[in-house]
Amino acid sequence: MSHSDTIPLHSTSQSDIDEIENLINTHSSSVLPARPPSPPRASIPISSAPNPPPAFIPSNLPTPTNPNTTPVPPVSSAAPKPPLPPRASGPSGNISASGFGSPPNTLTEPVWDTVKRDLSRIVSNLKLVVFPNPFREDPGKALRDWDLWGPFFFIVFLGLTLSWSASVKKSEVFAVAFALLAAGAVILTLNVLLLGGHIIFFQSLSLLGYCLFPLDIGALICMLKDNVIVKVIVVAVTLAWSSWAAYPFISSAVNPRRKALALYPVLLMYVSVGFLIIAID
Amino acid sequence: MDLNPPAGENYAHPNICFFHVLFKAAALAFYILSALFFDSFVIIFVVTVLLAALDFWVVKNVSGRILVGLRWWNEINDEGESVWKFECLDQESLARINKKDSWLFWWTLYLTAVLWLFLGIFSLIRFQANYLLVVGVCLTLSIANIVGFTKCRKDAKKQLQAFATQTLASRFSSTIQSAFTVV
Repeated sequence: MSHSDTIPLHSTSQSDIDEIENLINTHSSSVLPARPPSPPRASIPISSAPNPPPAFIPSNLPTPTNPNTTPVPPVSSAAPKPPLPPRASGPSGNISASGFGSPPNTLTEPVWDTVKRDLSRIVSNLKLVVFPNPFREDPGKALRDWDLWGPFFFIVFLGLTLSWSASVKKSEVFAVAFALLAAGAVILTLNVLLLGGHIIFFQSLSLLGYCLFPLDIGALICMLKDNVIVKVIVVAVTLAWSSWAAYPFISSAVNPRRKALALYPVLLMYVSVGFLIIAID
Repeated sequence: MDLNPPAGENYAHPNICFFHVLFKAAALAFYILSALFFDSFVIIFVVTVLLAALDFWVVKNVSGRILVGLRWWNEINDEGESVWKFECLDQESLARINKKDSWLFWWTLYLTAVLWLFLGIFSLIRFQANYLLVVGVCLTLSIANIVGFTKCRKDAKKQLQAFATQTLASRFSSTIQSAFTVV
């Protein structure tokens, strides 16, 4: 493949070398789209490439960010080995699957790899948010790899379950549930941001969506078992679980004196969803 | 941009083009025709939004990559800030992109957004809030893709210029250096 006649560097050490070079060479704000590579790099995996200069820097490097460049997205381009045409069945190359976003060569990876990567990201995000794990105290690290597919599926599933349980007005129930959850997530995020909290918009949306997972389970159980007492117990348990899941992220994002202000609306939304689950018959 | 596909070549990736168009057309068709067959809003909503979401995924991850060699995503860096990343193929591969593929890609992208906008206006006129919800979701997804890929394309062009100037500059300086060493 790419390592045929060169030093067989593993892809992660390639990116380490890039990282070190970046730290040495720059604190300049210009991102380096193409610079002539330093000698050790020239021998690295460009098999039959015409020449070194087109070797672009892979794009997932933690480029030294200055605050004033963040509004302008740093641009970099990836180097699938130049001779390869972009096609789906191309060699997937050295995809170093990482928790840091797309690895360098995703432009030429097979479609199936993309699907698997997205699915595994949903699962890992779910595990991080909803189940106990060591990262919960550091929200910046925990949901670094946010995605909105998980929340989308959970919201739709909740709407469907509620709609199915309802004996009348199914459409309204679904529409109300969906709109409530979607708008609620947006408004809650704005609430945290307006309280001076440090949280990223999509990260928070993603988090609030994933925390719906216990309520999804609760709704499913309530759909199957129609007894009121069972419903109340199940909803109470899953509600507590959801709130417990959301608590660390929200509370650590805001000033400690405003924790309650940020948390209260979240709890309110989950409680209202819980009531919706109980009340539907 | 012209209304006709560039003549003289065939699609390089007919399957991908097909899928690119399939989900968009299916979402639009289902939404428009479903009122004739289904009475239940829930089914219309779920199926349309599902098709739109699938289309979003296909365009962002598959056809964007393969038909025009562009890709965009968002990352959160170590300082906890959100960073939008745009990725494109190197210039040689970009030059080799099939013109018909990219024509189809961009045209259908813009066309779907415009159609959803029309449908949204219709449902607004009819005061149907729930259908407006469906259209709103589909429109958001289309617009997100349009914005992402347009930014990607602009950055690719900027990079091309930067690369060109840089190559020229480095060639120039090396020429000067060799001139001096000769002297």
